[in-house]
Amino acid sequence: MTQTEHLIKHLPTELGGLDAGPLVRVEHDLEPWEKRCHALADVLDFHKIISTEEKRRGVSALGSEIVGSLTYYERWIVAFANILFQKGILTPEELAVKMDEVMARSGEETTSCTI
Amino acid sequence: MNQQIHDHTPAPDSNHAAPGYYEVMETAVRELLFERKLITPGEIRRQIEVLDSRTPALGAKVVARAWVDPEFKARLLANGRKACEEFGISFYDETDLIVLENTDEVHNLIVCTLCSCYPRPVLGLPPDWYKLKPYRARAVKEPRSLLAEFGTVIPEDVEVRVSDSTATVRYLVLPQRPASTENYSEEQLAALVTRDAMIGVVKAEIPETKEMPQ
Amino acid sequence: MAQRAQPMARDFPDIVKADGEQPIFAPDDQVRISMRFPIGHFRVPNYIRGKKGIVEAVIEPTIINNEEEGFGRNAGNKRHYYRIAIPLTELWPNYAGSSNDGLRIEVFETWLERIRG
Repeated sequence: MTQTEHLIKHLPTELGGLDAGPLVRVEHDLEPWEKRCHALADVLDFHKIISTEEKRRGVSALGSEIVGSLTYYERWIVAFANILFQKGILTPEELAVKMDEVMARSGEETTSCTI
Repeated sequence: MNQQIHDHTPAPDSNHAAPGYYEVMETAVRELLFERKLITPGEIRRQIEVLDSRTPALGAKVVARAWVDPEFKARLLANGRKACEEFGISFYDETDLIVLENTDEVHNLIVCTLCSCYPRPVLGLPPDWYKLKPYRARAVKEPRSLLAEFGTVIPEDVEVRVSDSTATVRYLVLPQRPASTENYSEEQLAALVTRDAMIGVVKAEIPETKEMPQ
Repeated sequence: MAQRAQPMARDFPDIVKADGEQPIFAPDDQVRISMRFPIGHFRVPNYIRGKKGIVEAVIEPTIINNEEEGFGRNAGNKRHYYRIAIPLTELWPNYAGSSNDGLRIEVFETWLERIRG
């Protein structure tokens, strides 16, 4: 019996029955990018480019630390990127180049590392 | 706020703040998929409109109709999706709907412990708390103390029934009609039905009007 | 307008259904959630594994096993889901609420074992 099995047997996204603190009654109106991200998920599922179930698996595959640290839609968009790479639809380089282009367009200096 | 979805020159999110890392990622992924012609700007625009059109007001109207029309209520409990479709509420995400009736014997609440399944076609998007750990962990283990944190106390002789969505069925709670509403119009009844009542964490109540809201 | 007789299953007793078309379980069947531990993706939460419950309803129509769908399969291997009722006292040894309190959860056919007797 190893000490780490439970990490593999439980998904980082499954929470039923875990110890948890008091309810945190937060709500927020979606940022426009979050709403676009949700629309993107729905359109990708409609076309079965990334099904809703693939998205769920992709989010849990991010692992505990990322799942625990990123917000809801942040997890979605990173999961989409990973799944699109796995399916050969996009490459990491293509996305990195495009992200630099988007940042440059908005006036931000690029911070991507090219090593 | 205006959604800027263009083919070639998508504008950043807002005029006064630089986009964050994840917004840049979302914009880049979306534009690349447009370039590949896998999805179109029109589809994204349309789906945003779909999402914006789904609010708890839809569910409230369905509940109010069930309260006043026993035959509609029977159809709603037999097939939630089909009954909602009578109102033109389409189920764009291909889910089905089971409507859970609260009675004097049973109080229902809904949760998704694995992710954030929620009856979006009829209620819109879920609140943050529904998607966060305290709710999702405790709803299936200690629903009564969780409900108490919403101010809802269920008597011991009433069964608390928690539905955890794991597949393609979604749930909507049909709250009990508040007492002293015999003379309410359907519209007035719908105004009593909150999103939280349709999740099952509170009951539908006549609000106390001690003072006018600001 | 003449009334037509309703078609009945017994009208064609020799019809053979494909594997998976007919639900294996029916409402009121006593079942146990299997104890197995798939890696990577599942939709049967750990907290119900090995627990006993009762079939409340058969969910129609058959759909894809979402453990497979999570890895990109979008056709085939369709079976039924069942809405299972499990008392919270069955799930949690120290459950403090009413013994009537219960869970309802959809479980895929391949995760259910019949309890005899």
